[in-house]
Amino acid sequence: MHDTFDKTVQDRKETSAGLMQYSAENLVPFGPIHPALKEPEYFKLILEGERIVDVIPRIGYVHRGLEKAAEQRPWIQNIYMFERTCGICSFAHSTAYVQAVEGLLLYKLPERAKFIRLVVAELERIHSHLLWIGLMGHWAGFETLFMWVWKDREIVLDIVEAIAGNRIHKSLATIEGVKRDIPEPLIPGFIERLKYITTRVHYYRNVVDTESTLLIRTEGIGKISADRLEQLCAVGPLVRAAGIPRDVRRDDPYAAYNDVPMDLVTKSGVDIHTLMQQRLDEVVVSVNMIIYALEHMPPGPVKLRVPPVVPKGENASHVEAPRGELFYFVKSNGGRMPERVKVRTPTLANLPSALEMLKGHTLADVPVVLTGIDPCFGCMDRLSFLDRDSQKLWRWSGEELRQYGIHHYFPERKK
Amino acid sequence: MILTILQALILPGIAFTITLGFIFEWLERKTMARMMGRVGPMVAGPAGVLQPLADFVKLLYKEEVMPSFADKTVFRYAPGLFFLAPLVSMLFVPVIGPSAVASFSLDLLLIVFILAYATFVVAVLSYASASSFTTVASGRLVLQYVSYEIPLVISIVTPALLVGSLSIQEIVQAQSSRWNLLLMPFSFAVYIVALLAELEKPPFDIPSAKTEIVAGWLTEFSGRALAFLKLSKELGLVFGASLAVALFLGGPLGPVPQSIVPVEIFYTTYFLVKLFALGLLIFVVRTALARLKIIDAAVLFWKILLPLSLAQAFFVLVVKG
Repeated sequence: MHDTFDKTVQDRKETSAGLMQYSAENLVPFGPIHPALKEPEYFKLILEGERIVDVIPRIGYVHRGLEKAAEQRPWIQNIYMFERTCGICSFAHSTAYVQAVEGLLLYKLPERAKFIRLVVAELERIHSHLLWIGLMGHWAGFETLFMWVWKDREIVLDIVEAIAGNRIHKSLATIEGVKRDIPEPLIPGFIERLKYITTRVHYYRNVVDTESTLLIRTEGIGKISADRLEQLCAVGPLVRAAGIPRDVRRDDPYAAYNDVPMDLVTKSGVDIHTLMQQRLDEVVVSVNMIIYALEHMPPGPVKLRVPPVVPKGENASHVEAPRGELFYFVKSNGGRMPERVKVRTPTLANLPSALEMLKGHTLADVPVVLTGIDPCFGCMDRLSFLDRDSQKLWRWSGEELRQYGIHHYFPERKK
Repeated sequence: MILTILQALILPGIAFTITLGFIFEWLERKTMARMMGRVGPMVAGPAGVLQPLADFVKLLYKEEVMPSFADKTVFRYAPGLFFLAPLVSMLFVPVIGPSAVASFSLDLLLIVFILAYATFVVAVLSYASASSFTTVASGRLVLQYVSYEIPLVISIVTPALLVGSLSIQEIVQAQSSRWNLLLMPFSFAVYIVALLAELEKPPFDIPSAKTEIVAGWLTEFSGRALAFLKLSKELGLVFGASLAVALFLGGPLGPVPQSIVPVEIFYTTYFLVKLFALGLLIFVVRTALARLKIIDAAVLFWKILLPLSLAQAFFVLVVKG
């Protein structure tokens, strides 16, 4: 483990040294404001003619200070704040945070709440994957696919709205339970609509496999080997498409994933085309899991009453968000607010692989390949201090950071 | 003389073409929207048919912004030059009868020249905007142009080879008994594909790929210039489809019964029916496809469509004897 890290640092150093030889005219800036990026992020593309030979990322344009803000809010309020980390996989974030807190509380989560968490998490996966398929169509200039897929995605959002009352930020997970029950009379309607989604997904699978203009844009684009993905610590559909069977839902089951049968979808070899197949197939698996869970839902309460204080200790939790493994770390000093919360989103884990996938392709492939990992730059930005030359890492307290800010903007003031 | 001027200004001429341009834009937006599961324009006029006109008028009111680094003269006047191209070309296409408003023995060559001229104006226009997006768009446009031009011209000239004349009017009149389409389906197909490339419609919207280079060469334009440039693109579609109708589908010709109704009504109706059928074909194709990369477009034109159009021209020569 340590060797790999050292090697990566060594690689990075060599790359930095190697970059000196590139002249300025080979360097094409991509972002931070660019029509192909919905969120600000900056990539320096080193081109040889039209071909990309290297990519240097510069992340951190949308750092929001979430982790710091969490230290100043009660445990319950944090659920709603962390839900807003991501606009797409909001339930994955609240589930991961809530699970980390539940690990410190040592109650027994009600069975029915587990099933409801699974149902909503899988609905969210369907909606996220369909959104991504539509975006791939959009970047490849296939507006019709975009419109059709997003129209079918509305069905999922309607189901989520019927369950949670909201379409995107569900506000459903809470500590030791979920806030709302799924009403029994609605379940047959849900199952019917989910089955319709399966037929639509089979149709899109056919489109993705046979539409020739789409195949030209996706087949063989963004190739990367399974070994390289392992080295770069990629997660989620990206590694599964490479043939590595890795999924938190199966490896470390949370919610009701132990009680619901699940087929793990894998493909052999990553390119954009197999990534599209992978995500569409995962949607079918998710639909089957939801239908099984809805039909086998145990009766009982959905929520326990818990005190607002969490005992001293620290705990980590991870869930399989639509984009991959999402990791939360929570530390409590026994008070009404957490002492430290750490979030690691799947985009940060997948970004190095995306940079690797870009190499060797042309400028026109950049939007397609970058979208290939389903990036969510807004979720991933965290802050740490690193001196690139001396490879030194350090931390600042809030007061030191404030002083630095004052000094930066008003250099004439005394420190 | 006065009749010719009236014709040039109103019926098969400028007013008619511009009206058709607006109707085509509405038809395109409506067809696309219906195919994509949307409703499309529906507020201005019945079924939103006046929406393109409303958008045009709205753009006329907008402030015009000129980039400080742009070539001022070209930036200001080139949109007008581009607007002229389809309007002038339309005068050579017979619409209300077997003969066109303007015609001379080599007008097909003039049309080919005007097609090149329009692309040239756009290339200069986008270079004059001097922004990075328009510069990339200009490069892509020229690269696309050298790919599609030769197949396009060969497929235009093939009907002329059969008829033995370089006048559009004579080519139309020679089709009174049999459409050229029946003898040269591949030329027709190549013409339609090349027309999609000429008009920058998907799968060839490479010079205006909005996810890569914003609005392509239109990026820096606003206000009146943008209104007229967008209208010119629609007029280009009207003219391209009209030329296809004239060269391959017999133009306005068709069975004309004896009646008190003027024959021009029949001819115009036939022409419009063919034109809208062709327009619908183009809109359906454009909705159903994804964007190609510039390299794939070049490969398609040079390796597949160029040999195909040459083979069709050779076949026509053999048939003609």
